[in-house]
Amino acid sequence: MVRLLKRLAAVSLVSLLGACAGGAPESMSRLDTVKERGELQCGVSGKLPGFSFLRTDGSYDGIDVDICRAVAAVVLGDSSAVDYRQLSAPERFTALRSGEIDLLSRNTTATLSRDSEGGNGLTFAPVVFYDGQGLMVRADSGIATMEDLEGRTVCVGSGTTTERNLSDAFLAAGVNYNALKFQEKDQVASAYLQGRCESITSDRSGLASMRSGFDDPSAHRILNAVLSKEPLAPATVAGDPRWSDAVRWTIYGLIAAEEFGITSANIQAMVNAAAADPNQAAMRRFLGVDGGLGTKLGLPDDFVVRAVSAVGNYGEIYDRHLGPGSDVPIPRDLNSGYRDGGLHYAPPFN
Amino acid sequence: MKLSITALRRQLFASPLDGLITLLLLACSGWLLALLGHWVLALANWKVVASNLPLYLMGLYPAAAYWRPLVLMACLVLLAVLTLLSPRLPRLAVFRWLQRLLPWLWLLALPLGFWLLSGGLGLDPVRTRQWGGLTLTLVVTAGSALLALPLGVLLALGRRSPYPLVHHSSSFYVELIRAVPLISVLFFGQLLIPLFLPSGWTIDRVLRAVLSFAFFAAAYVAEDVRGGLQALPPTQREAAHALGLSVVQTVGLVLLPQALRIALPALTNQLVGLVQNTSLLAILGAVELLGISRSILANPQFIGRYLEVYVWLGVLYWLICTTMTLIARQLEARLGAGAGSPSSG
Repeated sequence: MVRLLKRLAAVSLVSLLGACAGGAPESMSRLDTVKERGELQCGVSGKLPGFSFLRTDGSYDGIDVDICRAVAAVVLGDSSAVDYRQLSAPERFTALRSGEIDLLSRNTTATLSRDSEGGNGLTFAPVVFYDGQGLMVRADSGIATMEDLEGRTVCVGSGTTTERNLSDAFLAAGVNYNALKFQEKDQVASAYLQGRCESITSDRSGLASMRSGFDDPSAHRILNAVLSKEPLAPATVAGDPRWSDAVRWTIYGLIAAEEFGITSANIQAMVNAAAADPNQAAMRRFLGVDGGLGTKLGLPDDFVVRAVSAVGNYGEIYDRHLGPGSDVPIPRDLNSGYRDGGLHYAPPFN
Repeated sequence: MKLSITALRRQLFASPLDGLITLLLLACSGWLLALLGHWVLALANWKVVASNLPLYLMGLYPAAAYWRPLVLMACLVLLAVLTLLSPRLPRLAVFRWLQRLLPWLWLLALPLGFWLLSGGLGLDPVRTRQWGGLTLTLVVTAGSALLALPLGVLLALGRRSPYPLVHHSSSFYVELIRAVPLISVLFFGQLLIPLFLPSGWTIDRVLRAVLSFAFFAAAYVAEDVRGGLQALPPTQREAAHALGLSVVQTVGLVLLPQALRIALPALTNQLVGLVQNTSLLAILGAVELLGISRSILANPQFIGRYLEVYVWLGVLYWLICTTMTLIARQLEARLGAGAGSPSSG
């Protein structure tokens, strides 16, 4: 009887362990979860012109939003199968870790401590926008350099890298200043406009979009001083290589498409041409005609075609939201392709 | 309160000094009004409100189904107007019927509204993540108020229970919740609960918000109801007992109706506070009235139009809260609240 009980206990223990292992298999990637759900949960700011905001018709738009749409087009074949979650700066990493969102595409600066296991434990995708922290002052204030801000007040958003960069840069330059801190970007802007501070600091992209909303944009100048590197990159949770690879190569696909001269307008013609011409080996691999590159990632072979058809190549995305004709024009500078002196460079699709 | 010329003159121009002060104040308020009018009519650009009206009212609700939240809101407005007008309606049989029906109509509006918003039973289902704007604010308020009231009543009764376990756990809950700021309860609900749940489990975001508010408000409701219970003379309970009523009957038929009537003004206060507290959800990324407004402000077309948007929000919140206060006052009048208590207002 005792033996029987022991055996029963052993059997139930083993089956319990088996059930546990079956319930949470280690190979279960976010990629599979997203496919199963049929919808990508994407964390965005929802409050940054040019990057993510609400249009009058209730649709989200911006560079960050287009990244979500590209990933959804690649993984699910439908760029509109995205559930956008608006996240504030303090809660964005918790939302990612808790699994409430699959992908964080929210103008987030890639840093060591956010990447590391001991920090926020994220895996960053390729940089989508190279930003840098700048300072804006009134054009008639006579302030031309950082040193001119000695003893003046600077408005800054709290709880972001912006705040730390500001104090680091001013400490290094030996300039004394007063920081006036606010939780939200719009509060920072209105405090500056009310004259509560002489200068305002934020990412240069943020300053540019802020300035285009002012009554007289030409009355404000962005100083040449750059206080920090701000490479803005989407992020996924660490320890899930299949999912982060899928996101990474989707973004590289958008960048490489610009290098190849492939746009949303000509992509179908390019695919047809590559399919007809066996000599275009690189193009055939890139567009998934052969080579099976997508399969290796757990994606369809034509994943680049899906992404570019949905949102265009990187250059198209940039021009649509931040180009000269857009509402928030920002010069491309560092965000050009490497052939034009910028930093965007996709590894080979081999 | 009747205003007559003589009464006005006696109050405002009793002496030369009084007259001077009156004129000065009139001039000041006239000047302020002129400034405000000038801004509203000439300086402000109301395009940011006008062209985003559906977003403020319904958030990201699918455009094809806009009629559903609109019907709901129209029903609510109609009910509110009827309720406010009901004492002044002509004494016809139809209207008397209506007056008797009104409380039931209000109760009916809730399940009906929920069905209209979420769909099912013949309507296309719409997920809660697409709810937003004023609709979401109203849903969160109504949902949490409805959960908080019974929970609060139970807690209040629990605090007066003779059983130590019930008594102490109710007291502990009320004291705990009252010692924690609302925002941390919300952060807990929105950020930590998903971390604790086993993978694959999710609780709807809106439901989490409603539950957080309900659990928080219940503690305050409990104290208001307890105040009402304590205002009742002990003879009430003794009399009920002498009549042979059971404990449940005593509480349900004798004590609670009187206690709730006394607690009504304080409960109204809680409800108005609840409406305004829902705006805290904007910090957590929900697109209720305040959250959606900030997203609209990020649209490059409308950058910098803060003043217009926040004035518009202020007017909306004021309208909602005032309507609720007026309805509650009506309810007090009808129930004769204060008749049994010294605080008749």
